Amino acid sequence: MSDSGKSFVVSSTEQLWKASTRRNFLKLLGVGGTIVLAPGLFEACDAYTPITAPGSGGAGGAASLDLSNDIGILNYAYALEQLEAAFYTAVVASSVFGSLNAEQQEVMSDLRNHEVIHREFLKAALGSSAIGSLSFNQTAVATTLTSGPVVLKNAEAFEDLGVSAYNGAGKYLKSADYLTLAGKIVSVEARHAAAIRDIRDAAGITGGDATGTRFAGDTVVAPSGANAGLDVKLEPSAVLARVGSTGLLNTMVSIGTGPSGTATPDAGPPSPTP
Amino acid sequence: MDYTDTILGQIEPDITQRLVTRREAIMKGAAVGSTIAAGLTMMSAPIAFAALSKEAFAQSTPSSVQGVINFALMLEIFENEFYKAVLGISSVSAQNSAFASVRASVPAAAIPAIQQIQRHETEHVAFLLAAGAVNTLNLNASSFDFTGGRGAGNGPFAQATTDVNFLLLTAQGAEDTGVRAYKGQAPNLQGSPAVLEAALRIHSVEARHASKIRRLRRMTGATTVKYSGTITGGGTSAAGAGNVSNPAAGAVTALGLIYAGEDNVTQGGLNVTTLPNLPSGIDVTAAATEAFDEPLTMAQVVAIVQPFFIPSLT
Repeated sequence: MSDSGKSFVVSSTEQLWKASTRRNFLKLLGVGGTIVLAPGLFEACDAYTPITAPGSGGAGGAASLDLSNDIGILNYAYALEQLEAAFYTAVVASSVFGSLNAEQQEVMSDLRNHEVIHREFLKAALGSSAIGSLSFNQTAVATTLTSGPVVLKNAEAFEDLGVSAYNGAGKYLKSADYLTLAGKIVSVEARHAAAIRDIRDAAGITGGDATGTRFAGDTVVAPSGANAGLDVKLEPSAVLARVGSTGLLNTMVSIGTGPSGTATPDAGPPSPTP
Repeated sequence: MDYTDTILGQIEPDITQRLVTRREAIMKGAAVGSTIAAGLTMMSAPIAFAALSKEAFAQSTPSSVQGVINFALMLEIFENEFYKAVLGISSVSAQNSAFASVRASVPAAAIPAIQQIQRHETEHVAFLLAAGAVNTLNLNASSFDFTGGRGAGNGPFAQATTDVNFLLLTAQGAEDTGVRAYKGQAPNLQGSPAVLEAALRIHSVEARHASKIRRLRRMTGATTVKYSGTITGGGTSAAGAGNVSNPAAGAVTALGLIYAGEDNVTQGGLNVTTLPNLPSGIDVTAAATEAFDEPLTMAQVVAIVQPFFIPSLT
């Protein structure tokens, strides 16, 4: 039966984010229906204000980042810290935590503490400019917790990605104070990454690095070439692409406006993480 | 004019601009360092100019990109030569023999890690030189006294040559200082985004190094050091030196300088210990100090590392 005689009216930006709306869009487009965009729909769009996602607990929504200003870059960091904090909080709360040894439990607890602090700090610092709380796909989150080795594997991926993100975004910050704050966080993420990599090294997972060197192995610290000795870095678009591919977010986090400045060649951690 | 084939150009490319200012100041009677005065008295321009060029990373130096990468190069050469001496691969045999006895006590499993760290420091030296950094002090393997005695060989870190726990503590201090030094200079590189990004990418490698050393220490008895490789609290206690017996007073003082301010919990004007939604039942202050690393100024770093350098850094 054809729906071509029906039309679907979109009158608010909230409607655009809802899954049911997307479904209706696609259904109508597929069968020749009409989408009517009400005039007031785009009044909320402001080049300088990130569109905020609805609060957590409902549909995923979306967060569009304006990386041409420092607030947008801090929101980018805030999004990543939300993801890390959610992961480690889930780890500590799940039954898999008990399968970790004492050292691993200490590390997971500490990383949970640090990432939650990072998240809450950025949220407080951004104030009314903060994007909303991201909504997570709980089914996908559960797949990251299926065993101790799986938890550690995912922790390594998150930490190396965090280092990559801050290293790639730092050059776009205009404020010296914000750069310093980002610097204070990224070295802690690097300590985290080294710790997780070292734990997995001791468990026999070398993943392309020489035994005993994984903490700063050749797969993350360039072993040769003009950038030998330099750590991973990724442009924001590459980071968000990796985040998206995890399937962990219901909230779509995208770049509305790219950074102002010159991108540099990416040098990311192994993907997928070994 | 091509400055690279002049004495001044070889010492430090943009010294000339600052020299003009200094010359005017000197002629107006401004105080000069004793080396500079001696050089001028002896009518020896090269000595005077060389002494002036040492100010490339002194406290009064303009925060130019050149000054920052020269400063970074100095620290990387120091770290590189330290690890080479520990591993017994320094080009100066006296440096190697100083660590000969303690070298045998380094856990075999730690050797690949120390080799990886040393290789990175070599690569950082090469990167900075390729980026135009100048070795203004002409540092080489014999420029350092790793006991922290300015060349006397009996400084407060002499215990590093006999006690493996103290040796690892020293390495930890060097790495944590490197992290804090780069962090402090990042804002001075904002005018050169490519250099800034490279500095950030070196800074995070030093943090990985520091984390690994801390973990090695925790595994060999430093019970107050976290397996996460992060720094708890500040000052001497942040060093986690509890597994070191009878450290020299000068070493304890040095650790206080290395970790000064690391217990800061005010970030961007916010007290992070009172943020909402923090986990319950945890030591919030400890976690707050661990979650952020703190910068050091160039002057603070110079004060920390000067005892290990035979030439004067100021």
